[in-house]
Formats: sequence, C-alpha cells, structure tokens
Amino acid sequence: MIRVLILGAALCLVASMAAAQPGPRLELSVSPTSISFASASPDVQPVVSAAPIVVSIRIRQSTGPWSLTVLANGDLIAGASTVDITNVSWTATPAPPFQTGVLSKTVAQRMASGSGNVNPATNGSVTFRLANSWNYSAGVYTQTVTFTLSAP
Amino acid sequence: MTARRRLAFVLLAWSAAAPAARAAGQPATATLSATISPQASLTLSTATLVFPDADPDVLNQIPSAGGPVTVSAKARATAGQAVVLTVLASGDLRSGLDVIPASNVTWTASGAGFVAGTLSATVPAQVATWTGSGLHAGSQQYFFRNLWTHPTGTYTTTVVYTLSAP
Repeated sequence: MIRVLILGAALCLVASMAAAQPGPRLELSVSPTSISFASASPDVQPVVSAAPIVVSIRIRQSTGPWSLTVLANGDLIAGASTVDITNVSWTATPAPPFQTGVLSKTVAQRMASGSGNVNPATNGSVTFRLANSWNYSAGVYTQTVTFTLSAP
Repeated sequence: MTARRRLAFVLLAWSAAAPAARAAGQPATATLSATISPQASLTLSTATLVFPDADPDVLNQIPSAGGPVTVSAKARATAGQAVVLTVLASGDLRSGLDVIPASNVTWTASGAGFVAGTLSATVPAQVATWTGSGLHAGSQQYFFRNLWTHPTGTYTTTVVYTLSAP
C-alpha cells in the first residue's frame, strides 16, 4: 500500500514538474484603473485627453512573441445614450513596444508587442483620447476595458 | 507515521500544490468614464440690423438691409430634451422720447426648426426649437412695419438671443 502511495505521488510530482517547465510568466498591472474624460466644448477641445495611466508588463520566457491587447466591453453608455467606442483612441510610449490605436468593442486591439524576455518590468504611459462632438447627448458615460497580456 | 508514509504524504501534498501551467493570458481591467455636460454655442452673421427709410405707401414692410441673419446653433442636451432659441428686445424702439413698440418688428424664417415670429420687449419670442444634441443652421429675415403714424427719428433697441440646452 505504501509503495502504491509513493509511486502515485512520484507520478504526480513528475507530472507537475513537467507542467511547470519554463513557460511564460506574465505580469500585468494598470494604474490607475479609472480613466476619466472631462467635459469640454468641442469647439475649444475637439479631442479630450484623459490623464495618462501606467501599464506595467513583465514577461519571463526564453523566446517567443508576446502581445498586449485592449478590448472595450461595449460602447460608452449613459442610460439610453451611447457614444461609439471607436471615438476613443490612445497614444502610448515608449514606442516600441507600445503603439497607438483605437478602441474596439469587437476585436482586441494591440497596444504593445515584442518577443522574448521583458524583465525587469517595462512601464508604458498610455493616454486615452475622446473625439469630442456636439452630437453627443449630455450624460455621464462609462464602460470597462480589458487589457490582456499574452504569450502563446 | 513512518518515514515512508511521511514521504508519501509530503510528495502528494507538494504535487497537489504545484503551480498551474503557463498562463494563456494575463488580464487587467480599467473603467472609462466621460462627462458630457449640456453646452450651447450661438453664432449670428451680424450684430447690427438696419431698416432704411421708405414711403409707407410704397413699402409697408421694410426688410432689414443686408438680407437675412444667418444663425448657427450648436447644442449638447440631455437625450430627448428640447433645445430652444429665443430672442427678446431689451425695450421698445426709441428715438429720444418717441417710442415704437418692438412688436412692429417681425421676421420670417428658413431652416429646420426655425419659425417666423414677432419681436417682444416683454416675452422671449421663439426663433427655433430642436430635440437633442446637434448642429443647426437657419436664417431670419427681419421686417419693420412702416406706418405714416411713426414719428420721425432714428430708433434703436437691442435684442438678445438665448440658446438653451437642458
């Protein structure tokens, strides 16, 4: 009985060690997690910029590509009113690995990419921008966005 | 517990607590918020309206010189709410002690949402109304009612346009 237990444990250990072989170790943080656009006249500010946020990425892997994407969970919403999320874009530095882009609610958009190791962590400064318009209905609009750091 | 049993227990516990396989994707979320406040902006093609002198028998409604006043209105309002453009005379037309009531000034209008009206010194007259946010343009052609009974003189008054977006 004891031998069976030891054999089983050993097999589990081997299996777990195999699973723990050096794969990508991914760390992602966003700060702050609240991104606000202040109200402004479209004649004065055709584009409204939010305060920059810091996106920190750390990737520990031997080789292979990696990417950071961002996907909106929908349009900006205020009650029954909406503002198409494609009116929100961003600029990001340093470039590379970070890049500019336009938010989408259907297709995750690449915000940064590269290959190999990113260790220690790299901080990107990301500034989201809202295209201002007289056609927007008054209201306080919100939406969440999801950042995903991946290494296949 | 024997040494072998302890070893088996430790191995089982360790293997059960081993870290998961590589992560396919590491997520993080943030919240976007945008404040869109009600705002209005109004532009008139001219700040002066002049009605030239004319024989009342020949011209009983004198159009303002220079043609229609073009109006450009921009407004951001709460969805479904009315955006209203009004005009109010600060007083009747005056020339010294002589007075001609502001109601002798009328206008015709063109453009979506614009309406014809009569000037008043007491109640704002509606020039245009729309629903919701957007940019709007139209024009007003002002007329002065020409009468033999008007005392001679050069009459003036000021009119104030107000564009409101709730």
